[in-house]
Amino acid sequence: MSTPGPERVPSSVKVSKTSGQGKPPSSSSGSSGKKPGAKGPAGKGGGKGRKPVTPVKVAGGRNWGPIAVAGVVVLVAVGIIGYGVFAAVQGSRDWQDKVSEIAGVVNYRKQNNAQINDTSHKQGTQQYVTSPPVGGAHNATPQNCSGDVYDAPIANEHAVHSLEHGAVWITYKQGLAADQVNVLKGKVEGQDYTMMSPYAGLDKNVSVQVWGFQYKTDDVNDPKIDEFIKDTRLVSALEPGISCSGGNTTTGPLQAAGSDGTVMNK
Amino acid sequence: MTVSTDPGAAADAAAPHDGEETARRSRGPILAVLALVLGVALGIGIGLSIPHFTKPGDDSVEAGFLRDMSTHHAQAVEMSMIAHQKSDDAEIVYVANDIALTQHGQIGYMQAWLRDWGLSPTGSEPAMAWMPNSAGSIVNGLMPGMATPEQLTKLRAASGKELNIEFLTLMRQHHLGGIHMAQEAVELSDNKDVDWIAESMVKSQQTELGLIDDLLKKVQAS
Repeated sequence: MSTPGPERVPSSVKVSKTSGQGKPPSSSSGSSGKKPGAKGPAGKGGGKGRKPVTPVKVAGGRNWGPIAVAGVVVLVAVGIIGYGVFAAVQGSRDWQDKVSEIAGVVNYRKQNNAQINDTSHKQGTQQYVTSPPVGGAHNATPQNCSGDVYDAPIANEHAVHSLEHGAVWITYKQGLAADQVNVLKGKVEGQDYTMMSPYAGLDKNVSVQVWGFQYKTDDVNDPKIDEFIKDTRLVSALEPGISCSGGNTTTGPLQAAGSDGTVMNK
Repeated sequence: MTVSTDPGAAADAAAPHDGEETARRSRGPILAVLALVLGVALGIGIGLSIPHFTKPGDDSVEAGFLRDMSTHHAQAVEMSMIAHQKSDDAEIVYVANDIALTQHGQIGYMQAWLRDWGLSPTGSEPAMAWMPNSAGSIVNGLMPGMATPEQLTKLRAASGKELNIEFLTLMRQHHLGGIHMAQEAVELSDNKDVDWIAESMVKSQQTELGLIDDLLKKVQAS
């Protein structure tokens, strides 16, 4: 009787742990017959010996109150820190990523077009890939872009130089109703690194551009215009720290060339 | 049966005990690793977010002041460059040079702090939103003291005595507006860098106001 005892002890432990490996064939009838039999008396016969054990188990089964409180505290702390990390990461996101995410914005910087990327100063009228231009060789004198509102078209060659300085250039279709022009004017007046002018042959009512990025819309109240300005103004400068003043303040084509220098390839 | 079941029962009772001990033994390292991972994650999180909480935020007084004063300064630079180029009075040429270089340098400080704080150099809030009771101080997008586009056009077209008087008059008004903004910033901000530059603006522009008044008297008498 002493031999089956030690035999059963490991067998019962193993069965409960690894759900029976090679044991069932040898003691399938024995264990199946003994287990119900063993459990029946175990509850009664072993009651005296085991009762102290069960309360110990209950007491050892965690006091959930403090754990729940600690858990909530940790969750709140992690949430606050998580928000801080999120805000820090979000706040320092690159402006180019932000503006690229605005639906309808064309990212010309990504295209690596040598003609658009050209930052050289050249005399005379220049040809541009896009209309209005978003970059390229330009005149040595920029257009004044300290919130300047021009009521007639300005020379692309001056305007592109302003884009290089970080200006947002708002252009609108010539002949746009005065009340709509006034809406755009409200986005420029008093805002350094912005300027606006009518644009001949514009395919939409409004085109807003910085160096390498452009957004066109027919609606002057389109909130994406403000989003575009917010994400690009000043930060789009290729020469950080340069001012938007001291430039040309007159309208009309470059000098007396008689051409606005634009070639519409697109 | 009773004899055979007793060891079995004893084994049954012992089994969970043994299992619990082994479980506790194997849970120990896991808990330690979990605690370590959580601790490291918390540490990284705190490290990343503390600077964010200690640096002025996007809608703070400090950020608003630095952005608005950058714009305000930019116009002073613009007007001073015009006078520097066109004035026939050596004293005015020098004061214009002084204002342009000082204020453009200060724009550099202000923009660099915004960059350090991970903030955009421009804000989405209207100008002067950081200043309480500032509603109405913005006229056609212009902050207090700023010259209108018409006044700038007049300045660009002027020459001689007219240019000197126009420049000094506009700059006097510009300084008064700027000093007011800087005083508000000193009052409202508790950032030592912002306080330092705002205080220096108040002092230097107040001194310059005296010089501008003297020059105005001299030019008008000429």
